[in-house]
Amino acid sequence: MKRLAKVLLLPCLVIALMGADNQEARYQNLGGKIMCSCGCAQMLLKCNHVGCPNSDQMTRELRASVIRTSNDEEVLNWFRTNWGVTAVVEPSTHGFELLAWILPAAGLGLGLLAVILFIRSWKLRAAPVAIADLNLAPDLEAMRARARRETEI
Amino acid sequence: MPLLGSFCLLFALALAFYCFVVGVLAALRKDAVGYRLAETARRAGMATFAAVFVAAAALVYAAMTNDFSVAYILHHSNRALPGPYKFAVLWSGQEGSVLFWALLLSAYGFVLRLRHKVDQRLVAMASMVLAGIQVFFLILVNFVANPFGMMDVVAADGNGLNPLLQYPEMVIHPPMLYLGYVGVSVPFAFALAALIMRYPGEKWIQITRRWTMVAWLFLTCGVSLGAHWAYAVLGWGGYWGWDPVENASLLPWLSTTAFLHSVMMQEKRGMMKVWNVWLIFTTFLLSILGTLLTRSGIVSSVHSFAQSSIGNWFVGMLVVTFAVCAFFFFKNSDHLQSENKLESLVSRESSFLFNNLVLLGACFAVLCGTLFPILSEWVRDVKMNLGAPFYNKVMVPIGLFLVFLTAVGPLLAWRSTSVGSIKRNFALPASIALLVEVVVGALLYKNGVGFWTDMGQIYAMIAFCLSTLVIATIGSEFIRGGTVWKNKLQTNLLAGMYQLTRRNMRRYGGYVAHFGFVLVIIGLAGAAFNQDKEQEMAKGDKLQIGRYTLVGQEYTDDDNTNYSSRAALLDVYRDGKFLTVLNPEERFFKASGGQPVHIVAKRSTLREDLYVVYEGHNTQTDHPIIKAIINPLVNWIWIGVLVLIFGTGMALVPNAALVTVQVPKADAVAAMEEQGMQPAGAGK
Repeated sequence: MKRLAKVLLLPCLVIALMGADNQEARYQNLGGKIMCSCGCAQMLLKCNHVGCPNSDQMTRELRASVIRTSNDEEVLNWFRTNWGVTAVVEPSTHGFELLAWILPAAGLGLGLLAVILFIRSWKLRAAPVAIADLNLAPDLEAMRARARRETEI
Repeated sequence: MPLLGSFCLLFALALAFYCFVVGVLAALRKDAVGYRLAETARRAGMATFAAVFVAAAALVYAAMTNDFSVAYILHHSNRALPGPYKFAVLWSGQEGSVLFWALLLSAYGFVLRLRHKVDQRLVAMASMVLAGIQVFFLILVNFVANPFGMMDVVAADGNGLNPLLQYPEMVIHPPMLYLGYVGVSVPFAFALAALIMRYPGEKWIQITRRWTMVAWLFLTCGVSLGAHWAYAVLGWGGYWGWDPVENASLLPWLSTTAFLHSVMMQEKRGMMKVWNVWLIFTTFLLSILGTLLTRSGIVSSVHSFAQSSIGNWFVGMLVVTFAVCAFFFFKNSDHLQSENKLESLVSRESSFLFNNLVLLGACFAVLCGTLFPILSEWVRDVKMNLGAPFYNKVMVPIGLFLVFLTAVGPLLAWRSTSVGSIKRNFALPASIALLVEVVVGALLYKNGVGFWTDMGQIYAMIAFCLSTLVIATIGSEFIRGGTVWKNKLQTNLLAGMYQLTRRNMRRYGGYVAHFGFVLVIIGLAGAAFNQDKEQEMAKGDKLQIGRYTLVGQEYTDDDNTNYSSRAALLDVYRDGKFLTVLNPEERFFKASGGQPVHIVAKRSTLREDLYVVYEGHNTQTDHPIIKAIINPLVNWIWIGVLVLIFGTGMALVPNAALVTVQVPKADAVAAMEEQGMQPAGAGK
């Protein structure tokens, strides 16, 4: 019976520890998105200001929020409501703030598309005729200059 | 003097306006009268510089002589201010900095117009464009932000200069940044002029290459001096806070960097003409946007000035400039057809394309982050500031890809590169990079740093690996080319490398600049391993951080006419051995109502900085609060910037002349007849 209890207890313990570990990871992650509001311009978990009027309270509240809810977004929104919108310096991945993440990615994506279109248009374009009449006018000096320019020798 | 200054500003406006209008008339007429009109416009443009210079000198004179009847001097100076900082008053406030913009623009215009013989028609048109920009700034400085406004009652002393600006680097940083911002006006003016005139060939690119590089060099100096100032003065231990005004200086730097690379495709292959024209237009617009962000206060920043209506003028300038550029682009876009096509994806051309994509992607990401608070205020009525976590997540991967391209790009050949050549060129550098990565990883592991658990440290490790790859590829390029010259000239490898560099200063100067860039990256990557600690320290108390122990020895108070101060004397021990004494200080400037400024004490080595700040004073215990930070590899950033500047300087130096061996004509003809050849040009 004891053995059975141990066997059942072990996975529960592992799951509980994993949960604690997960909570700690969430706490660390969220603490890196919230700014200490004492004016020190440091992230909440980095603020080691002696006598900081806010960081102790904020970290306590963060820890409590992480335990209270498993939704990170809710935690950040709670801080926005209670400490002001500027307390959170990393935009969330929902609603309007998602735009802050999408815009740079969209910019890069559009840029990549533009590069592909450039390359495609160049590939489709006919070859230049600059060297077509080579045998009629062998301007060797011009050819040499071009070769020098293009090969950097 | 203020009267003289005001008069000179009005006179300068009249001259610039004449230069612009007559420049337009001269451009419309292509006869002898047009030529004479262009000449008078050129002279008026040069005289503008003299008039603005006298106005700026009048403002500096007013600062030096404590003329507090001038409102600007009253608000930005005081009697106790040391002489060099009184000179810096010229650019420390809104009105003065607009005057400074106008002064630098007129100075650039003066040099450009002086060198008009390089291409008289193109310079005349570019001069007209510059005069248009000059008119805008002179209107601002005359009617919107006049630095010569007078006080009704003359005060006995002024309000003083912002204490944060009372630091030697601050006398150099803003002028450097402004020289960069204003400097991009010149390539912009040439690009627009060439487009308006449908100017044939790449001559405008060749003329403006040095101008662009000089502007880029000043921007680099300005941005890095600003970073160094933040590190040395602000006392938070970092050098880059992604502040909107810092970002504003980075934006034109990124786009100019992209332009400096893509312009090579136009010079060598006649490609990307549309791209280059828009890149330089964008760079100029970004420099105006940067000035708008700094001057208007529309985004919250430690650098920006108070909210003012001047921002509307800059928005107007942005709109008008964009409209003019777009109009002439659509009118004359057929003039910008590429002469060659891309032949292979694995080529120098495509590496430039990706380089531009990454640089402009970075530029766009920074722009989005900087303007997002404005957007969020419009949409949700709240300003949401984006901080370092956002930028680090977005910018670090982009930056790493850029370092990768820095390693790969220069080794690819123009037109096409074979797989064999890639293998040959990359095998050794890649092996060295992997070896260094393993050694660094092992050293970190030995010192107890589990870098694989922290994303920042993983990125740092990737950065070390890619940086080594860049250094190895640059080294292999120098060695390979140097060996050829060594064998050819029967000399040693070093002399061979010197000969190689002298014959292509631009290319090898570029490599040195790339080397400087990766040193900066190595320095930036070091930030992932920072440590910091703050504690209250009575006499004899110890603060332990990393290998260092700080012991409080003495605490002093001081007072002079400009500021009062509190300082600490701390003995520093490393691994138990006495190392040095550090003296962090906190100053309270009297003219600014006792605003505190930290004077940081540092012990710098190539491995790390021990950075100590007198953070404050606990009034209850009467003990100072000391903050200590260990910043690994941070000095490599400043060394890298110096190397970058040196490399750019090298690229500006002309190549050693090619030695031409004269063959007697009779011999040459005989040799050709023997081979059945005709001399070039025969029969034409």
